[in-house]
Amino acid sequence: MSTSTPAIHAQKAEIFCQDEARVDWHSKALWVLREKRDRAAGSLPEWEQLRQIGSEMKLHTLTHLAQYLEEFEQNCIQNNIQVHWAKDGAEHNRIVHDILAKHDVKKLVKSKSMLTEECHMNPYLEQRGIEVIDTDLGERIIQLAKQPPSHIVVPAIHLKKEEVGELFHDKLGTDAGASDPLYLTRAARAHLRQQFLSADAAMTGVNMAVADKGAVVVCTNEGNADMGANLPKLQLHSMGIDKIVPNIDSAAVLLRTLARNATGQPVTTYSSFYRGPQEGGEMHVIIVDNGRTDMLKDKILAESLKCIRCGGCLNTCPVYRRSGGYSYNYTIPGPIGIAVGAKSDDTNSIPWACTLCGSCSYVCPTKVPLDKIIHHHRRLKAEAGKLPYGKASYMPLVGKFMASETALNCSMSMARTALKILPGSLLKPFSGAWGKYRELPIAPNSSFEAWFKKNRG
Amino acid sequence: MSSKHDILNALKSAAIAPQAMPVINISPRIDDLVGQFETSLNTVAGTLHRDGGLAKLQAQVDEHIANGMQIISMVDGIKANRQVTETAHQLKDIDYAVISGDLAVAENGAIWVNNKNLGHRVTPFICENLFLVVDANNIVANMHQAASRITLAPGEFGTFIAGPSKTADIEQALVVGAHGACSLNVYLI
Repeated sequence: MSTSTPAIHAQKAEIFCQDEARVDWHSKALWVLREKRDRAAGSLPEWEQLRQIGSEMKLHTLTHLAQYLEEFEQNCIQNNIQVHWAKDGAEHNRIVHDILAKHDVKKLVKSKSMLTEECHMNPYLEQRGIEVIDTDLGERIIQLAKQPPSHIVVPAIHLKKEEVGELFHDKLGTDAGASDPLYLTRAARAHLRQQFLSADAAMTGVNMAVADKGAVVVCTNEGNADMGANLPKLQLHSMGIDKIVPNIDSAAVLLRTLARNATGQPVTTYSSFYRGPQEGGEMHVIIVDNGRTDMLKDKILAESLKCIRCGGCLNTCPVYRRSGGYSYNYTIPGPIGIAVGAKSDDTNSIPWACTLCGSCSYVCPTKVPLDKIIHHHRRLKAEAGKLPYGKASYMPLVGKFMASETALNCSMSMARTALKILPGSLLKPFSGAWGKYRELPIAPNSSFEAWFKKNRG
Repeated sequence: MSSKHDILNALKSAAIAPQAMPVINISPRIDDLVGQFETSLNTVAGTLHRDGGLAKLQAQVDEHIANGMQIISMVDGIKANRQVTETAHQLKDIDYAVISGDLAVAENGAIWVNNKNLGHRVTPFICENLFLVVDANNIVANMHQAASRITLAPGEFGTFIAGPSKTADIEQALVVGAHGACSLNVYLI
């Protein structure tokens, strides 16, 4: 159960689906988040207006990105913030290590950053003798369990409290058999306080980078980003180029939708604006491309960079909820994970981990057209000759067959008769993977076309 | 060639035509701002004290001091038993911090705190419990209004604080008190 060994999505999902009760539990936990999100969104009459403005503002920024990035850098420099640029994950990690090595950092406390996951920064630093402590509770849990995140907002959603209890007993010395979330959270608080107080440097992700101020905005509920960044004298913030917003008014729009869409809260507990280091401290911002400028070269893929990483699309996705975060061959799972990760999926299967139901696009607070993007990825895979599941061999035949009226009508008529007169056990094998978890349909008496001609024609 | 140059150069081949910046014109809900704020604050697990102001807060602080608590006050008119420490780390045993907020947001219960009112920036996070003091005239309806009113001068730090720290990372069970303060009481003046 790890993202590190690539296998096609369906195979990985099958592993997750072996425990049916657990799948139901997982699906329900995420659906609760979706319901909370619906209540929060429904309580604002201007919700749809906010989505529209959020989308347009992000598109405006993405189409003026060079200008805003330069403005952001200039303002940061005036605020005594040092700015670094990294073309890819490797360069990002080198820059971070150089800064930490220069200050002889032995322990780094880190709050949630999907970008550093994307860059595989933790192992890079650990190999060079720097201890990296993830400080978000969910992230600390999976770090202790040596697992990657299975969700971008609630990274340990796949674990039960008893499993966390066992892990904490083993690693933090909590009572054996204790699984009360309050008790376990308090134990983690005490443990992580020691880490905050003894860290040599802190690192955070960036939710928004405000161009006209030269400030970064970091949102957490736990306060871990601020406990980290405001104790040691060295603070680092890693951001993708897509995190820029023009001004604080724009940030305010996203702050109104981010938490509501993620967990149903009206706003995250802490929305912190860093416009310079603390007294006597040092602040660095690392701006990372890592494939984003490539995405901007494709009109459809470009829109995935409007994403603000609320996780709303994961919570609503019927495939994610029933296949888990480790089925996607990418750090980010779910619809947005397919959108930004399909290109690097060597199994070429994740664009098909989707029913194209479109629910993700409808909940997205910046109107990322996720279903359209996922569909586009299928086209790109086909054009590159990389269709999975044998689709390259049979899809052209299916295409020809469906295009011929005679062939289609004849065979559908035969299928209806077969469904009526032949036993299911004989027919089931012909339904392939589709029939694995489904019953065969009850055959109608005629085709829709015939029904329509008779009743409405 | 620098990476900055390469990134900016790559952006020249972006596929989407330039889009205009939208106008943000959302009508605020302006009825009963204090009531709205109180409802929102309760939602994020904070408690509002509408009446009594600084005198009530001072009485609360005195009671805690009598019980042996370590309290730092950054608010004029509230006396406590601890001073700003030399290093931020020395605040680790603070039980209560008393801090001024510049403005409060009715729609979500958030309070804007600027580092000028903090001493060490970590004060509102490292304390076990937090008292925030806000002028009742400084409640705005929503984040759009807040954005135009907050102060964040070059070099400064500021944060919207909405309730005590919290997490639901273990089986989605809400636990108040993660890494920041475990409780938040807001006093209107």
